[in-house]
Amino acid sequence: MSTAKKKLPKVCEYYQNEDQFSGGVAWCSGCALELNARFISRVLGKDAMFVGTPSCSAPVLNAANTGAWHKHSHYACTMTGVASSATGLTRFYQKSGQDATVVCFTGDGCAMDVGFQPLSGAAERNEKMIYICYDNEGYMNTGVQRSSGTPLGAATSTTQIGPQSKGKSTGSKNMPMVMAMHDVPYVATATLSHLEDFAKKLMKAKEMSKEGFAYIHVFCPCNVGWKMSTDSSIEVCRTAVRTNYFPLWEAEHGVFRLTNKVNQQKPVGELTKMLGKFKHLDQGQLASLQQQVDKRYSIVTALCGMP
Amino acid sequence: MEAHKKQTKVITGNGAAAYAAMLCRPDVVSLYPITPQSEVIEQLENFHANGVLDAEMVTVEGENSAQNVVCGASMAGGRAFTATSSYGLVFMYDAMFQTAGYRAPVVMVNVNREPPGIHAVCSGQQDMISVRDTGWIQVIAENCQEILDLVVMAFRLAEDHDIQLPVIVNYDGYYLSFLAEKVEIPGIDEVDKYLAVLKSQPERMKLTPGKSLGCGSHGLGMGFVELRHKHMAALERAKTKWDEIDAEFGQAFGRSYGGQIEEYRNDDADIVLFTSGSAVGTARAVVDAKRKEGIKVGLVKLRMFRPFPVERLVKALRGKKAIGVLDRSLGFGWGCGPLFMETKALAAEIGIVPMLNFIDGLANMDITIPHIERMIDDIHHASLGHPYKEVAWVTMGE
Amino acid sequence: MEVKTDKGTCIFETESAWSDATKHMLCLDSGSWRTERPVVRKEKCTRCGLCYIYCPPQCMVDKDDHFEPNLAYCKGCGICARECPTKAITMVSEGEISDGSSQKAD
Repeated sequence: MSTAKKKLPKVCEYYQNEDQFSGGVAWCSGCALELNARFISRVLGKDAMFVGTPSCSAPVLNAANTGAWHKHSHYACTMTGVASSATGLTRFYQKSGQDATVVCFTGDGCAMDVGFQPLSGAAERNEKMIYICYDNEGYMNTGVQRSSGTPLGAATSTTQIGPQSKGKSTGSKNMPMVMAMHDVPYVATATLSHLEDFAKKLMKAKEMSKEGFAYIHVFCPCNVGWKMSTDSSIEVCRTAVRTNYFPLWEAEHGVFRLTNKVNQQKPVGELTKMLGKFKHLDQGQLASLQQQVDKRYSIVTALCGMP
Repeated sequence: MEAHKKQTKVITGNGAAAYAAMLCRPDVVSLYPITPQSEVIEQLENFHANGVLDAEMVTVEGENSAQNVVCGASMAGGRAFTATSSYGLVFMYDAMFQTAGYRAPVVMVNVNREPPGIHAVCSGQQDMISVRDTGWIQVIAENCQEILDLVVMAFRLAEDHDIQLPVIVNYDGYYLSFLAEKVEIPGIDEVDKYLAVLKSQPERMKLTPGKSLGCGSHGLGMGFVELRHKHMAALERAKTKWDEIDAEFGQAFGRSYGGQIEEYRNDDADIVLFTSGSAVGTARAVVDAKRKEGIKVGLVKLRMFRPFPVERLVKALRGKKAIGVLDRSLGFGWGCGPLFMETKALAAEIGIVPMLNFIDGLANMDITIPHIERMIDDIHHASLGHPYKEVAWVTMGE
Repeated sequence: MEVKTDKGTCIFETESAWSDATKHMLCLDSGSWRTERPVVRKEKCTRCGLCYIYCPPQCMVDKDDHFEPNLAYCKGCGICARECPTKAITMVSEGEISDGSSQKAD
């Protein structure tokens, strides 16, 4: 029987090359970060240079002695030094006339906490680079401690549940919006359930990085830290989008646009019930979280000029 | 813009550092202000704005970034320069391990200033002592001319294929940073010629896009140990290399400083004063005066702090009847200055003689002629077998 | 990996820590971590490619009319089975697999 070969999903048209990573790497089973890294690598192409730091990505992104887990050129540095190291690299490539796509690839701990100052500085200087933050809402690599990306009410090893504590008492830093307010050429949010949207944004960021700073904030679940099943990573991403917990938008030269309008927004409880880190949430906490989601979404829609 | 020609000008120590950096044609310079260093970066930006310096100028948001920028630029294959002081230096601390560990041949000026207290805008060498064990090479200048010369020599040393290590050029804040002196500024063609030897050496590794190279893969067990071993070996090589570079500099520019240390009237001296930085100028004058009084005193100036010039110092100090060490910083928890501590560690090779430590010049307290006269008198006294106080805080009246 | 130099056996030929993926790629036996494996029912597969794009280790192999996991690297997370719109993939416990099928790479 011979049938015409059915076309692969459209996102595959964005793949520049074969997977540049080794087959067996030290990421957990079902790890969203693993797909994130392999996907970004395929879309940006093998000449993209990664700058990384101690993080869940480090055991794979960074080499060990003379051997590497992928074929991209890469630079390992301290958590405080990602955007600044990348600045040093990209500035020299510009000075010496070398074409380069320098990609900072860090988690929320680096981007939003300890490496925030250099990131903000690089954005303000409009350095020609892409900064991708895979936001798994905490320090997953060191054992699930809270970061400024950890959402309201979430249980982590430093915001535990007990008579004196009900998880994190404050909300997360609205990081993509913080970066958008830096007035850089390109800021976008993306996640793995919407890969074509993600691919388009990566291509745009690559193009924009020739003129200045591009930032992509990626919602990136962690099944270990968030206490969720290994098969649910994509579904969690999808639910985050459908609840407007993580709306997908972009801001190109300050012009905001929703890239995936959710027609029937689901309550945030649909997301929290999938995640063990929210298991303890009471009605009050859930209402506060919903309020925050709605408020943040209204900021996005207002910026997009929507009613 | 016309290439910079040889000239003699009255400029500050900071100005001398900036001229030297410009003459070495850095590819990337990171700039962040801090008193008393700011003039260095301002002057460099002035060169840049006027087309004299063709470099990528990165006006960072803090010293930590300043350090990471130059490390990245250097690992990409560029020549990189930055300048800092005091808190700025210690804010770079984590990144400094990386720069040295990656063997990035960065050159950095550190204008010595006391770290604690927001009003501690005053000279002192505590900052450079605090980063002693980050694996960098550290050299110290005595005057404005030497600042200029050291920066040029520092690039020659840092980028030498046998060395490949970052270098800090230290000089005293205030006493030298803002001191205006006559300085001979070489032509850029002369500096090009002096540094040309680097181009004839094998190319060092550089991080290039699309080459599947990874930089900073320090990791597992033996690999890490091996790199540490190589790092230590390179530091050891840097000692004699520095002597050679200093001699070559003398041939090229007519100024030579003795390499790792400079000895002044030390050959026939019975006793010796050992110190570094701007205090050396005062000490020379006092040594001359004391010689006239009949005290056979010599002076040893430390020019290279890391690696520590063990062999040269042992030679210079061996056979003396008493040794005085003037420290401008503290070895907290050792009850003495760090230079004294390290000199004492040479006692087995030097011989057991009275060793005296003078703590002076902290926090912009002037190291005056009477202070140094008193130090030499104390050393002399001890050499005659009289009891002496091992560690004396000069300005505290000890 | 070790290299012979004039100074004896070293790990690095260089003074500093440099890796070179063209000479030395690392790979783990990550297939051995698996407790369940995806089993694809060919007849139900519409070759939509969702399992292929969503697989974290990117180990779904295109067999023209359907997809098969490369069991050398499949960690058994089950994303492919959950995302498959026709339920063509089932996760089966490794203990129930008795055909001695190879875990080695294609």
